Amino acid sequence: MTALLESSPPVTPAVPRRRRNGRRTLDFIAVHSVALALGLMFTLPLVFVFLTAVMSDQQALSSELWPREWHFENFVAVFQKAPMFTYLTNSLVYSVLATAGMLLSSIPAAYALARFRWRGGNLAFMLVIAAMMLPPQVTAVPLYSMWASGHLTGTLWPLIVPYFVGDAFSIFLLRQFFLTIPEDYLDAARMDGCSEFQVLYRVLLPMTKPGIAAAALFTFLYTWNDYFGPLLYVGERQESWTLSVALASFRGMHRTTQWNLTMAATTLVLVPVVVLFLFAQKSFVRGLTFTGIKG
Amino acid sequence: MTVHSPTAQHRSVPLRANAPRLAGQWARRAPLLPALVFLIAVTQLPFVATLVISVLRWNALDPTNTGFAGLRNYLAVVTDANLRSSMLNTAVLTVAVVLASLVLGLLLALLLDRRFLGRGVVRTMLIAPFLVVPVAAALLWKHVLYNPEYGLLNGVLTEVWRWFGSDHPPQPDWISGMPKLAVEAALVWQWTPFMMLILLAGLQSRPIEAVEAARIDGANAWQVFRYLTLPHLRRYLELGGLLGSIYIVQNFDAVFTITSGGLGTANLPYTIYQTFYQAHDYGQASAAGVVVVVVSIVIATFALRLVSSLLRNEAS
Repeated sequence: MTALLESSPPVTPAVPRRRRNGRRTLDFIAVHSVALALGLMFTLPLVFVFLTAVMSDQQALSSELWPREWHFENFVAVFQKAPMFTYLTNSLVYSVLATAGMLLSSIPAAYALARFRWRGGNLAFMLVIAAMMLPPQVTAVPLYSMWASGHLTGTLWPLIVPYFVGDAFSIFLLRQFFLTIPEDYLDAARMDGCSEFQVLYRVLLPMTKPGIAAAALFTFLYTWNDYFGPLLYVGERQESWTLSVALASFRGMHRTTQWNLTMAATTLVLVPVVVLFLFAQKSFVRGLTFTGIKG
Repeated sequence: MTVHSPTAQHRSVPLRANAPRLAGQWARRAPLLPALVFLIAVTQLPFVATLVISVLRWNALDPTNTGFAGLRNYLAVVTDANLRSSMLNTAVLTVAVVLASLVLGLLLALLLDRRFLGRGVVRTMLIAPFLVVPVAAALLWKHVLYNPEYGLLNGVLTEVWRWFGSDHPPQPDWISGMPKLAVEAALVWQWTPFMMLILLAGLQSRPIEAVEAARIDGANAWQVFRYLTLPHLRRYLELGGLLGSIYIVQNFDAVFTITSGGLGTANLPYTIYQTFYQAHDYGQASAAGVVVVVVSIVIATFALRLVSSLLRNEAS
């Protein structure tokens, strides 16, 4: 009996063996076909994006689903038709600098929130949460007016600079990670004469690498995907467009209905994110669940 | 979930130690605090500015005619039929998308919690929609799926009808026929994987002993789900709902791309953008922004419960 209990699928001895096997086979088929169908349902649109990307101009406008000829040169054509390298550079500048800025500004703030006990500490935490929930459109008017009066609209600065001040979601996420490290470690470092900065950078950060990775990943993804911000600040100046803005305007810009090229551009935008995710899947999921479950 | 003993220890340090030690502590901490104070000021000040602008008469096209408007902008927001419908749209869109993606996400998570061949591959396939840049996802639904002439949906209908020997398959115009559902479906497709990831993490942290004990006591699969799994998942469902609401209330990409706010699908973020960017009515745009915040607070009231439980855990 104990041996039975230890095996992972719980077995009910009352069911005859043959019936059990039959049920298992059925179960096996059911689970696999449902999983396969759902998997296909969720990926099919993406597969179709790729298939359209390699179709000829005419075929992309038909309702046929499978390309008759494979035109891989469409990916090259995208670069010839539009300054994709400029857009790519803008997107990278925005995402990389924003992520760096977030790390510089949000780590000390998250540390202060997680580790210091001070009057108003809870209020400060609530304010950070409130800032996290504030939709970007709400504060767009005063912020846009501010950047416009400094003649900086049309550049990427209005998008990047806020991250050097601090990003509420990252602070929240990092705080949750910092709370998991026992205070004893930090106290030991303080006994040895470390300043708070040294405690933070020599002790806490090396111990919370997964959290830092998750926060960096989220910021990178959010800025890479951001459409409202770039549209608002650089929408009228094409040299500063990011990939997301360029993608949305790809069709209107060339007055053609070249779906194959639009889809080829879409594929090119998707690839970096997918690659990044495949490498960092674990810290991504950890970061997601950490935000609210651990406290 | 669990009370963190290190945190509890940290919290049990008496607040008022003797004065010199306190001063020493503050001297140590001082270099880190400005970061926090500065941050709070910078993240909150724009909202205060929004509040101030929302009671001003300020149209960028008519710069000389500015002044105090009192609550007139709010009155305009509440009485304008377009704004009212966009408020309703925001609420409906958020609730519909969050609920649908939570339910679908839960089903997918339950499926992925089982062991089967190729689970890793299926999981990656299911996550894929979440990785698509939102604008690209919106474009994809608009042109690749919904397009009446060469879209995937009508292409599939054509194929299916051909199998049954018919040359006249229905070719509905999805976006003009059902604009709201079109936007919602695209968003559900993108947010289901997100919910699935959170709920899957919840399922995998479920104490297996309790489930086995219940099975031995004769509980069937439904009873195990209803009385063990679901209560355990409550916090994960709340978390998914909270994060989902935060982002879907502010959704702009899908509405802007799929319908350009037309056909009665405009939500508040889109309307604010219009008021601000096209009509240049800064006062009214700000008032609408404040209303968005109020609406999000109403929608995400349960979020406060989550936050307060976070704080409670720490205090104990």
